[in-house]
Amino acid sequence: MDTLYTLFIDPLTKIYFLKALAGGSIVAIVCAVTGCLVILQRMAFLGDALSHAMIAGVGAGYLFMKLVFGVEAAAGAMLVGSLISAFITVFMIGFVAKVSRIKEDASIGIMYTGVFAAGVVLVSVFGKYIHIDLMHFIMGDILGISDFDMVVSAIVSAAVLSVIILFFRYFKITSFDPVMAASIGIPVLLFKYVFTGCVSLIVVSAVSMVGVILVVGLLITPAATAYLLTDRLEKMMALAALFGFTSILGGLYLSVWLNSAGGGAVMLFATLQFLAVLMLAPRYGLLADWQRRRNMVPQQVIEDIIASMFKSAKPVADTDITKYVEMKPKMMRNAMKYLIEEGLASGTDMYELTDKGRTEALRLKKAHRVWETYLHYMGVPDSELHEKAHVLEHYNDLESIDYIYEKMGYPDTDPHGAKIPPVYSDGSFCLTALYGFSDKDVEIVSVDTDKDVAVGDIVRIIHTDDGWSVQKDGGTIDLTDSEVESMTVRFLS
Amino acid sequence: MVSSDYAIQVRNLTVSYGPKPALLDVSFMIQKGELVGIIGPNGAGKSTLMKAMLGFVKRDIGEVLVFGKPVEQTRGMIAYVPQRGTVDWDFPVTVADVAMMGRYGHLGWWRNPSKADVEIVDKCLEMVRMSDFKKRQIGQLSGGQQQRVFMARALAQGAQILLLDEPFAGVDAATESAILDVLAEAKKAGITLVVVHHDLATASEYFDKLLLVKQRLYAAGPPDLVFRQELLSEVYEGRLKVFTDLLKG
Ligand SMILES: Nc1ncnc2c1ncn2[C@@H]1O[C@H](COP(=O)(O)OP(=O)(O)OP(=O)(O)O)[C@@H](O)[C@H]1O
Ligand SMILES: [Mg+2]
Repeated sequence: MDTLYTLFIDPLTKIYFLKALAGGSIVAIVCAVTGCLVILQRMAFLGDALSHAMIAGVGAGYLFMKLVFGVEAAAGAMLVGSLISAFITVFMIGFVAKVSRIKEDASIGIMYTGVFAAGVVLVSVFGKYIHIDLMHFIMGDILGISDFDMVVSAIVSAAVLSVIILFFRYFKITSFDPVMAASIGIPVLLFKYVFTGCVSLIVVSAVSMVGVILVVGLLITPAATAYLLTDRLEKMMALAALFGFTSILGGLYLSVWLNSAGGGAVMLFATLQFLAVLMLAPRYGLLADWQRRRNMVPQQVIEDIIASMFKSAKPVADTDITKYVEMKPKMMRNAMKYLIEEGLASGTDMYELTDKGRTEALRLKKAHRVWETYLHYMGVPDSELHEKAHVLEHYNDLESIDYIYEKMGYPDTDPHGAKIPPVYSDGSFCLTALYGFSDKDVEIVSVDTDKDVAVGDIVRIIHTDDGWSVQKDGGTIDLTDSEVESMTVRFLS
Repeated sequence: MVSSDYAIQVRNLTVSYGPKPALLDVSFMIQKGELVGIIGPNGAGKSTLMKAMLGFVKRDIGEVLVFGKPVEQTRGMIAYVPQRGTVDWDFPVTVADVAMMGRYGHLGWWRNPSKADVEIVDKCLEMVRMSDFKKRQIGQLSGGQQQRVFMARALAQGAQILLLDEPFAGVDAATESAILDVLAEAKKAGITLVVVHHDLATASEYFDKLLLVKQRLYAAGPPDLVFRQELLSEVYEGRLKVFTDLLKG
């Protein structure tokens, strides 16, 4: 109990911790929400660029106030300076990318290092006027956050967040499909500038907490974590905000326990959080992916199982199937699960094919026999026919089989004299192919008779001793064998 | 004649990306409610012509009028389905989200989509037979399905003019007939349709009027006027045999 108290509650009684938690959370949440759009627009590098470039502005702001007004370390001027330098950088990046063949990514690389370098030179040349702790900018100091920084980030965050929420729809469409957005009269470029402005603001206010190097992490890591979990931008932003908050919370505890730098601990926690989600995410996670692959049953095995079940007239157990199809028990379980999910089989211990499963089995049988016929025609010796056809039957694309069948001249039987089941690529089949349909409604797909049975009728067909009787709308119509042979039907799904 | 009887008027249009113009001195008029096909070989400037009708490309000279007004002043009157979507297919939006974007132009700055908007979107998805995929992320569809979602979005825009750049490219027979149904329905609703089409075999059957383009406009009018041996052989050099067959059949 005591240790738990020292670990979790004790820090919460410290003012500095609470301040860091409050200030950090505000910034992290807004960073994360903004970051969603940043990563979707592939601008991650821009966040990095802005944070570095602002050093020049901080130096310039400091110097300006000191030389002109003699004021030391004027926080406001440094803030304005950093914004100005951020905007200049963004403008130069766009300018170079536009007027030359240099692409945007290279342009970012040129401009931000240039502006950053200017800042470094400025600070070192005027070292005797400027008393800036560069380390502070590089590492940030979330645990020693000043009241001024806190107020500024609160205001900036509120402003940026309201802009994003108010114009959410427009940010969404301009990021997803700028061409379409322009065609309905949305000022795409304006939104791009507004958004870049928002990113600059939020980056500048976050630097004081986590520092130049880590700020880009705060911008994109929680957003990327959320991206692994959802397919909707709204949800992604909400989740990102949550992850932004937990990064700060977890990071701060970590820094207290390990007695480490706050910014580092926060980003370390955010990264671990990302890796955990990357592993465990239900859809886009590695574990789920691995599981999916492991549980996958090859189509070939599925088809062999269906064929073996079709051979047996009564329900079968696992062991009956494994006599014909060789596989591990685990794959057997997965295969049966798949068959049942797909509605091809039913049962718990003893399994049975459903109507859909039996139609599928017939289709496979047809594929096998059509291939055999074809191979025979090609001069393959009879002794090899079955084996070769067994491999080829898995190439059972419906249309292709029907095509080969047609080219073979619609033979009734295969070379061994076995009947080729009359099932067709549209899912229909001839009644003589399948027994046990008498208790089910079927739809007539094709029929050749002058009796009152037409394509599209939903009927029930019963095999009687002296022929076939069709029950339709309460009445009964008798059909001859040859009429039934020329007729195809389909189960209602 | 009042100029706004025409949905689109293009006059002396020339567009160039480099030294050689992609379109040269193209002029034609499209009446309201017509179903017009644009045909021509690869690189003929068909897509460029579409973009010019939308005001997306810079014109060297010439003008484009939409319902009698310069195209620049008519944003939102034309809905467009591009040849290849340039969107990010991994973007976290669903089919329904994308279709709803068609309504954004009508929503005003702050208003959320109303029930009526949702109904329109549902109807449009129904028309292109994509209702079963509403919750699917846009990247997790086949190319033909994605094309249909973008068509639904264009329909949802409620625009009077619909431009489709090769909607029939790479789709199966079922999708093709679904798209044809959509075109027929849109035409019935009085919408003017301009469609870039590649398949000469079906062009005369699908469209009221054809524009034969290869940098210049070679012919414009009803299919039997455009499908003339000497025109086609000039535009599609070297592939004469196909056309002789076509003209006979
Ligand atoms: N953005 C561009 N920059 C430079 N040249 C271009 C650009 N877009 C098209 N072109 C050129 O303009 C010409 C017309 O192109 P366009 O895309 O309009 O042809 P198209 O008729 O649509 O061809 P396709 O049938 O292949 O779609 C081509 O020669 C092409 O190379
Ligand atoms: Mg094109």
